[in-house]
Amino acid sequence: MNVTTTAVAGTMESSDVMVTMAPREGGIAIDLDSTVEKQFGRAIRAAILEELDKLGIASAEVRVVDKGALECVIRARVKACAYRACQCEAYQWG
Amino acid sequence: MEVEFGTLSPRRFSQVRDFLLRQGLQPPAEPPGFTVVLREGETVTATGSLEGNVLSHIAVDPRNQGEGLCAQVVSRLVAHAAGQGIFHLLLCTKPENDALFGAAGFYPVARTAHMLLMENVREGAARFAASLPHPGAGEEAGAIVANCNPFTRGHRHLAEQAARACGFVYFFVLSEDRSFFSTRDRLAMARENLRDLPQVRVCETGPYMVSQATFPTYFLKDRARAGEESMELDLTVFAQCFAKPLGIRRRFVGQEPLCPVTAAYNHAMKTLLPPMGVEVVEIPRLAAEGGPISASRVRALVQAGQWGALTPLVTEGTARYLREEWKHGGK
Repeated sequence: MNVTTTAVAGTMESSDVMVTMAPREGGIAIDLDSTVEKQFGRAIRAAILEELDKLGIASAEVRVVDKGALECVIRARVKACAYRACQCEAYQWG
Repeated sequence: MEVEFGTLSPRRFSQVRDFLLRQGLQPPAEPPGFTVVLREGETVTATGSLEGNVLSHIAVDPRNQGEGLCAQVVSRLVAHAAGQGIFHLLLCTKPENDALFGAAGFYPVARTAHMLLMENVREGAARFAASLPHPGAGEEAGAIVANCNPFTRGHRHLAEQAARACGFVYFFVLSEDRSFFSTRDRLAMARENLRDLPQVRVCETGPYMVSQATFPTYFLKDRARAGEESMELDLTVFAQCFAKPLGIRRRFVGQEPLCPVTAAYNHAMKTLLPPMGVEVVEIPRLAAEGGPISASRVRALVQAGQWGALTPLVTEGTARYLREEWKHGGK
């Protein structure tokens, strides 16, 4: 999939994460802002990259404001945001 | 806790207004386009509004602080803005709320003793300034900030004076699209009228100078309430985020004999900018047909359809633009 527009998913409430994705050329750029950056920053980035990879997204600007979301929540928000940013409704569940 | 959002009913708006007043905040004069209200029954516990790209009137009842209500309100506002295709947001708050909005993904742009401007893009202002054309090494730059609503002979005179004194002149046209002439028209008129001055670069202000975020009262019809605190914030943004990185040493401004808000702004400029490293050069207003040339005079003539009377006030370029390019879709 290709990111064609800017989109948002999630909230900035505790235990959630807000993901914003925008078109970009030349790879993935992640701007992570997390309350648990020190403890889980690397794991969060890895989870984001993995979800984008699964969806075949090679280039995107990804901004993430994390309020200590569980990994499954992070993955879900990234996916939802990616589908919106790619303007794609052919969801591949699972 | 109930959540309500949208345009408020008059009854709810009056509750929110009372709530804001109790929190020591100046409520909006009219219900903003989009407001979020959290309440317990009829008691408001938190609120916030969205006006264009600016988050405003955000408050949480002190008894409910620490419960994450601010994040709830801000999340709703950000999501609503996203739905309208607005992703770059700004807000103005008291400096002590730094951490509160920092936790909601906002970064400081500039601060004064009383106010803090924040945006949800890291280094947004710095990146914006870096995207503008730059003067050559060691070259001193001058700057003009104008709405050009529309571009008059006065603007032209100001630009000529600046170009005579500086080898590089930024001519900033306000980006905020809330004036009689659209931003597109105002920019086009400035470009057309300044094309022959190679030192002068027409640039947009972005959301940073004299904008809904930094100087909201500039755009109000009743401009008597224009706050000195806003002016200070606006000028601090100019000095720190633009003058410093771009090497702007002088700001050129037309004398203001008519509008009290602009006169007060000029006064604030002369007081506040020199200590921040920017000299203010005030140029006497051009006069024509028994009065100073002003954009508001031009607008009055345009609205009255007195095209013939425009010649002494506007340049040939503007006259041509108004005749041939301007769509009479104005308000």
